[in-house]
Amino acid sequence: MFSAPGLAAVGAGIVVLGAGLGIGRIAGSAMDGIARQPEASNKIQTAMIIGAALIEGVAFFCAVVCLLALNK
Amino acid sequence: MSSAVASVSSGGQDVSEYIIHHLVNSDSWHPLPGVGVPLLGDIHLFGIDLGLTLHSLMLIIAGGIVYFLFGFLYKKHSGRAPSGMTNMLEFLVLFVRDEICINYLGEEDGKRLAPFFLNFFFLVLVMNLMGLIPIFSTATANINVTMGLALITLTMMIVGGIGKNGLVGFIHIFLPPGVPKPIYVILFPIEVMGLFIKPFALTMRLYANMLGGHIVIFSLLGLIITFGWFGLPALGLALFIFFLELLVAFIQAYVFTMLSAMFVGSMMHPSH
Repeated sequence: MFSAPGLAAVGAGIVVLGAGLGIGRIAGSAMDGIARQPEASNKIQTAMIIGAALIEGVAFFCAVVCLLALNK
Repeated sequence: MSSAVASVSSGGQDVSEYIIHHLVNSDSWHPLPGVGVPLLGDIHLFGIDLGLTLHSLMLIIAGGIVYFLFGFLYKKHSGRAPSGMTNMLEFLVLFVRDEICINYLGEEDGKRLAPFFLNFFFLVLVMNLMGLIPIFSTATANINVTMGLALITLTMMIVGGIGKNGLVGFIHIFLPPGVPKPIYVILFPIEVMGLFIKPFALTMRLYANMLGGHIVIFSLLGLIITFGWFGLPALGLALFIFFLELLVAFIQAYVFTMLSAMFVGSMMHPSH
């Protein structure tokens, strides 16, 4: 009933869920921060990109694991 | 019905072959459809394979483009405001020096190490952008290339850390202050592991970003192979992802350089 490619695809979906939640929270908080202090927007943007990149790294790592599972 | 399903699934086989053909390293370069340029495949020296493959050729071309940009297109000026290509290159150089190097490494070390990180930035940027030009291939979508770049960062972290703090100071980076002594038994291995996990994360980020983006583009174009004329609207979607990739190429070059600078900075100035 459950094939390996199907489960790998479900895994990729779960990865997207986690990464989306994480990056969404970061972007939302950054928007709040910029709205309150527009003059600090440059620093907030840099910090936001760092955080998003770190989460994205983990998410891509999981996506690659799913891709490898797909070939099995 | 079953024949339609069969044709779609055989199309799926074609599509995955088509995607893999465009992404995986090979021994020949296909700049145009039907044109294959064989490369020097088999050169073995001391048991190491030194043959030229598609992605190593792209790496060399990217190096050539960076050299051309700064050796020939960049014009030194005195007194006048820069214009044209010089202006654009100076904008990027100043951005990397001020926003990345000096920000994370401090005034003195930032200026001294700026050329090192500028090399990273322009090489990764040129390789990422070359992947979006049809005749070239993406060298950064090969994990060996990004691992090589990340190993340079690791070397810089260790050399910079020892050079700045001395060997004893370098060991002390892995023993954060203000922790009860017995905890160090657990903490020290974790901190040392962190030294190697950081470059590994750099490797995976750049590699998976470029590979993932290109898989999406080719999957959308592959819909045309599967569905024929009915897949043509996918071209618009592919164009949209293409422009997204243009943005990602710049962001990933920036993120790679910035995280490298941050990691090297955390080794050189552990108190920060």
